[in-house]
Amino acid sequence: QETGVNGTVTSSEDGLPLPGASILVKGTTKGTVSDFDGNYSLPDIPGGAILVFSYVGFVTKEIPVNGKTQINIALDTDSQQLDEVVIVGYTRERKVEMTGAISVVDMAPLEGQSMSSGSTMQALQGRVPGLFVEKSGDPTGASSRILIRGVSTLGDNNPLYVIDGVPTVRPEVFASINPSAIESVQVLKDASASSIYGARAANGVIVVSTKNSTRGEGEKFSISINSNISVLSEKKQRYDMLNAQQRGEALWRASVNDGADPNNAYGEIYDFNWNGDFTSPVLNSVSVQPYVGGNTDVPAGDTDWQKETYETGYVYNNDVSISGGTDKSFMLLNLGYLKNTGILKYTGYERYSARFNGNVKLFKDKVRVGINTQLFTSNETLASPDVGSAPTPGLAITLAPTIPVFTATGEYAGPIGSGYSDRNNPVYMQYINRWDNTERTTLFGNVFAEADIFSNLTFRTSVGIDHNRFHRKDIETTVQNGFITRSVNKLTHDTNDYTSFTFTNTLNYELKLGDHRIGVLLGTEAIRTDFNSIVSSGQGFAIETGDYFTLGAASGNRTTDGTSTGSRLWSQFGKLSYAFADKYLASFTLRRDGSSRFGDDNRYGYFPAATAGWRINREEFLKENNTISDLKIRAGYGEVGNQSIGDVARFGLYEARYGPNQNVYVPDFFNIYYNVGTAYDLNGNNTGNLPSGFVSIQAANSGLKWEETREMNVGLDFGFFQNKIAGSFDYFVRNTEGILIQPPVASVLGEGRQRFLNGASTRTKGWELSLAYSDTYENGLYFAVSTNFGAFKDKITELPEEVRTAYPGTAENSIIGHSQFSIYGYKTDGLFQSREEVEAHATQVGARPGGIKFVDLNEDGIINADDRDFLGTTLPDLEYGIRIDLGYKNFDLSVFGSGVTGRIGIDPYIFWNNFVQGRENAGLGVLNAWTPENTDTDIPSLSLVNNDTQDSDYVYRNNSYFKLRNAQLGYNLPKELIEKWGGMTNLRFYMQGENLFWITPKNFVGADPERTNVNAIPVPTTFSLGINIGF
Amino acid sequence: KDFLEYDPKGQVPEEDIATAENAENLVTTAYAGIANDEMIGPLTHLWVYGSVRSDDAYKGGGGRSDVVVVDHYEQYNLTQADDGDQMIPRTWTNFYKAISRANFALSVIGELSEEEFPLKTTRMAELRFLRGHSHFMLKLLFKKIPYVTEGLSDEEILQISNDVDNEELWNRIAEDFLFAFENLPGTREQSGRADKSAAAAYMAKLRLYQAYEQDENHNVVNINPSRLEEVITYANEVSGSLEPDFANNFLDGHDNGPESIWAAQFSVNDGTEVGRASYVTGLNSPHGTSLYGCCGFHLPSQNMVNAFKTGADGLPLPDHFNASDMIDPEDFTSVDPRLDHTIGVPGRPFKYRNTVNEEGDMIYRTSWARDPGVYGFFGNMKEQQAPDCSCFVKEGPFIGTSKNIDFIRYADVLLFKAEALIQLGRYNEALPIINELRERAAASTARPIEAGASNIYNIEPYPSFSSKEEALKALKFERRLEFAMEGHRFFDLVRWGEAAAVLNAYLNEEKTKRDFLANARFTAGRDEYYPIPQREIDFTGGGLYKQNPGY
Repeated sequence: QETGVNGTVTSSEDGLPLPGASILVKGTTKGTVSDFDGNYSLPDIPGGAILVFSYVGFVTKEIPVNGKTQINIALDTDSQQLDEVVIVGYTRERKVEMTGAISVVDMAPLEGQSMSSGSTMQALQGRVPGLFVEKSGDPTGASSRILIRGVSTLGDNNPLYVIDGVPTVRPEVFASINPSAIESVQVLKDASASSIYGARAANGVIVVSTKNSTRGEGEKFSISINSNISVLSEKKQRYDMLNAQQRGEALWRASVNDGADPNNAYGEIYDFNWNGDFTSPVLNSVSVQPYVGGNTDVPAGDTDWQKETYETGYVYNNDVSISGGTDKSFMLLNLGYLKNTGILKYTGYERYSARFNGNVKLFKDKVRVGINTQLFTSNETLASPDVGSAPTPGLAITLAPTIPVFTATGEYAGPIGSGYSDRNNPVYMQYINRWDNTERTTLFGNVFAEADIFSNLTFRTSVGIDHNRFHRKDIETTVQNGFITRSVNKLTHDTNDYTSFTFTNTLNYELKLGDHRIGVLLGTEAIRTDFNSIVSSGQGFAIETGDYFTLGAASGNRTTDGTSTGSRLWSQFGKLSYAFADKYLASFTLRRDGSSRFGDDNRYGYFPAATAGWRINREEFLKENNTISDLKIRAGYGEVGNQSIGDVARFGLYEARYGPNQNVYVPDFFNIYYNVGTAYDLNGNNTGNLPSGFVSIQAANSGLKWEETREMNVGLDFGFFQNKIAGSFDYFVRNTEGILIQPPVASVLGEGRQRFLNGASTRTKGWELSLAYSDTYENGLYFAVSTNFGAFKDKITELPEEVRTAYPGTAENSIIGHSQFSIYGYKTDGLFQSREEVEAHATQVGARPGGIKFVDLNEDGIINADDRDFLGTTLPDLEYGIRIDLGYKNFDLSVFGSGVTGRIGIDPYIFWNNFVQGRENAGLGVLNAWTPENTDTDIPSLSLVNNDTQDSDYVYRNNSYFKLRNAQLGYNLPKELIEKWGGMTNLRFYMQGENLFWITPKNFVGADPERTNVNAIPVPTTFSLGINIGF
Repeated sequence: KDFLEYDPKGQVPEEDIATAENAENLVTTAYAGIANDEMIGPLTHLWVYGSVRSDDAYKGGGGRSDVVVVDHYEQYNLTQADDGDQMIPRTWTNFYKAISRANFALSVIGELSEEEFPLKTTRMAELRFLRGHSHFMLKLLFKKIPYVTEGLSDEEILQISNDVDNEELWNRIAEDFLFAFENLPGTREQSGRADKSAAAAYMAKLRLYQAYEQDENHNVVNINPSRLEEVITYANEVSGSLEPDFANNFLDGHDNGPESIWAAQFSVNDGTEVGRASYVTGLNSPHGTSLYGCCGFHLPSQNMVNAFKTGADGLPLPDHFNASDMIDPEDFTSVDPRLDHTIGVPGRPFKYRNTVNEEGDMIYRTSWARDPGVYGFFGNMKEQQAPDCSCFVKEGPFIGTSKNIDFIRYADVLLFKAEALIQLGRYNEALPIINELRERAAASTARPIEAGASNIYNIEPYPSFSSKEEALKALKFERRLEFAMEGHRFFDLVRWGEAAAVLNAYLNEEKTKRDFLANARFTAGRDEYYPIPQREIDFTGGGLYKQNPGY
């Protein structure tokens, strides 16, 4: 039976009609749109149809027709959207009234991506304008770099996280929170927004709120289950390396170019049949010698070490939440389990996490007490170093292909005989380090109480804790690997405790007088942070099993080391906010921080900020405008500080250094053998306890003070056509003064004379744009495109001589006016094509035909350090991201990519692809190296010793990229169906792929442009299947 | 307020250290400073700078690109001021660290009265000796260096140029040794400390270098006789004697013996992280035997091996030694016994031993060489100890030992004196000195023979010198054999003003045997000294330090 329906769509808030609202017959593509007065009419629909009324910013309603011919409907505004209230600095703020540069993260699309990595942080990559996240391939899901609006300082650039009001600088706390427990994430980008966090806000603040609010909907509980399985592979990120035969050809060419017969240096690995003529060399053939080092137990291999060292990894991630409550109470219980089997053999990561949030309302709701707790414990085994401390991811690239993985007798093979590097079989190294692990256990959270003293005056007190227990176990077994042996085994336990308490008290006062709204916040905060570590090791274990390696079982030398440090912060802050007629907005904040890191004279810092906003769309002249649905102009100015220096950086300090080598302070292979102690065998006993003294470790700077950042931000938020097109634009200028830095000093000053200084000033200008279009078409298709862009340019404006050495450049050619991330080096002009060209050129050490030609910038006829200049910057000009969402019926599809442009960098592959390292394998590029016959190439004439790899525009190249990071396809089972399954409210399946493909510039030689550290596990390509269930 | 007070834990400010109670500790710290070296920034054993860069030795290791900067030094013409962080830049830094330790102790002790600190003068003399030592070593490497004394602020130190008159710089370094000489006791209260003999020996050494006066391009333009007289005077003040067996100088159990005039002390099992052992030659272990470790660096040149050849008269062959090569066992028929103390020769016992675990496993063999196609089959021996020595520690791939490293042996003092006598024309007085060393060498054959070495030794004293020139030639050759691969050779050649001539002649012959030297060339007026590390020039503003000529 067909019928016709008409009616009016209005807003329940003010009763005004809603023009352009969508009315759809459910399950069909039939529908219409309300007219200017909110009227609609739908002829010829089934009498049993359900109408779906939707309008941007309002809650969608479904009404059964039930034979009615007129349906008037008042839609409720969607607090999730228009009245979304978020926490930004000790107070709640309506999203539409925010006046700082704050990005509220859309959590919904993050779930799948964070499920596959186990880190919400990684899922934010490329999604928030001005937030730059670099992933790592570690199974822990740790990000390698997180930057908000580029970088303002040279030191620690990590943002401050404020989770349920408790600050932490440990990204793993945020990473461990399952997204289903997160209420909202705000990124405070500019100083006017973050200034309320004062001393630690210079790198931006990420404010996270977990779910802990009573909805006031009566008794209601819900359960959600998320489960995800991912498959990880690094095949696309591999470097193309030479096979056994090809390496022989490259070594022949390089040796001959150096004037040496390759049969001398590499005759044990290859049999080179060549004409012996260095002036016109010809290689007749090269063959691999049958045995490694002539050992008949070790037949030569043709090993692809990357293939052998990596395997397919799997991630299993599950979490369950139970949440809900009554009008008077709320609780959330979230349990998660993550396991990543690792793509590098014998690595892995496991994490158990639990969150309990709860609150109750007492005394007629006037008092509220509650708790937020996050508990997680994790266990990881990561990439291992070999006997000579070289990490296995690098060895998988560099080890010679002629070494097999196993010997004929089934042992792990290693280098034997001449011609090989003193590096180990990476598979073997991973295997013998399989008992190594790091355990972290964190308790994070707070207990809080709020009391309404008067109806408008609320007092809140909170005690927060951030506690981490760290325990690393490192077992070094004995090794017999080719010619490399380790005869003494060793166990090291490295443990530390980190505890930070935060005690916060605030008073909040809100007043409404007619059109005036006034908010006042006053607060204090005390933070106490302590860190204690103990490192113990023992040598000489009779039995090599994982169970036997305990310190008590050591029979040899034992050492113990340990440190203690800590800091204190004591702060007062206030905020005054004012709104007139919801149109004119203003706020003023001031924070005063006292830090134990600074001396009496500079102990306190004051950090003010002010903002103003104008919601133009609330003005009368725009009320009737159908095009502009939202328009707000914002402006703000703020000052923030940075105190990211050592806890005791201001002191001139001496310490007793009885035992340590330099590796204790600066971990590095050779530093293990570099004694920097004060003990000395004056008595000539050769053993036993030694006399010892004290040594300077840093020079004093009693005048050390806050690094200060002043930032001006103007912004525009806009929405057109019922917010179908929405976005925001921000422009900022940021001046940072007195950057805290510990510059290197001339050696002539002696030992331990470095000190922290307030040094350079920088100016950063930039803009961010986010622009989105979304619409649901009449045929039911939902389509959305959202883009974000961030662009920054920084330059050093002032550079005191005493900190110049911390930056590239020289006294004559200083970095002033350049980005602090500039690269200083030589300019090149292709390759020398002939001996004559070499002779005609300025004197250059090691110059040869086919070698890289450096430009004699100062034209003094000699290439030396005076010919260096600024080559570019490693910070991109532009970061951007684009996301496309499609929804149709029960299907949803999203594709997301992001990239950077306008920067230079080294891709490490160039050192293998364009140069031959004598003991390491090389990349395919060396087969196309310059020879007198092959001159149309940019790969220099091969050499084993004469490789011009110093900083130059040859090795620093444009490494912009665009990456397709994520594609996800989901399917929601129909509600009618799942409702029958125990009242299920949501059942969605999805599949996704991550890190799928990328585009790089033409002369980029490497694999993945984000693979900048060959000693780290590459970021894999990932495919996932997931399920979300809700009850 | 109190809440914000947080004091450093386990670390203290300067005023808590600068006390009479801690004065002794600060002196210990300064001593430790001169031995705080590293494989890639040596202070104690200058095998890279004095041996590899001379005709004594090759870099070794796994081909030319292994620690490539040393290959650049070895090729001479690839040496650059801005060439990474390893070796020369670190050695510069480490010596200035040592100087700062001495200077801090000097400034603290200088403020104390004799009542507070009765050993004040002695300790100050020791500290000035240590400071002189570091400046001296730097001067050998760089010629022109900033000279730093105690009590200067950091700002003042950053005003000190290296562009000082050569003669003045020698004299300033000498002042420290003179003060030490005048104030140090004649006997050592502890064997690791410097005494009057050490100061006298250093004065002799310094005045000998100073006697050969150089112009701006490193040419020796004059030999100053009054400096030579001082060499003799101070050498005579040194009390010491030769070890009865040459081997003792390089064997555990003989540290601080009668021949050790001034040495860096090392120890193991001492509660430090990996032992306060000597790792400076850690790269230099024989590579192809599991008895040792990594990495086969610092290998004798064929020229060095040939130099041990003696004629039928038991005398060396300074003019003809290199006419034929000693490679295979049958080539070794008449040699100076010091060969078996210095060089691992295939078929001959290594480090005076025949057996550690299995019969004959200490007989040096060709398989011990890492990269024979490039660097030949010979090995270094003086800096090695037997694998079962209690002084021996294997840490990771490297080996450290508690064996001291002698900066000055009494044999060195004897030859300083002999050289001065010869240059003064008193070569007949030098004859018995040189012969004393040769007789000691002749008496040092028991250990190798007992370990199974065939007796191919033939060494005799010089009957006489017929001229100053002949004596000088004998002295130079004796120095080479006596101190072979101990890291002195290159500095001797530069002192004598013959680095370019000797080394280019060496390269011309050696490159026909070792093709990795095909493009090596020594440039006179440049390669006698290392470039001032570029970062030090950059860090001091660019104009303060004067770069050495040619770089």
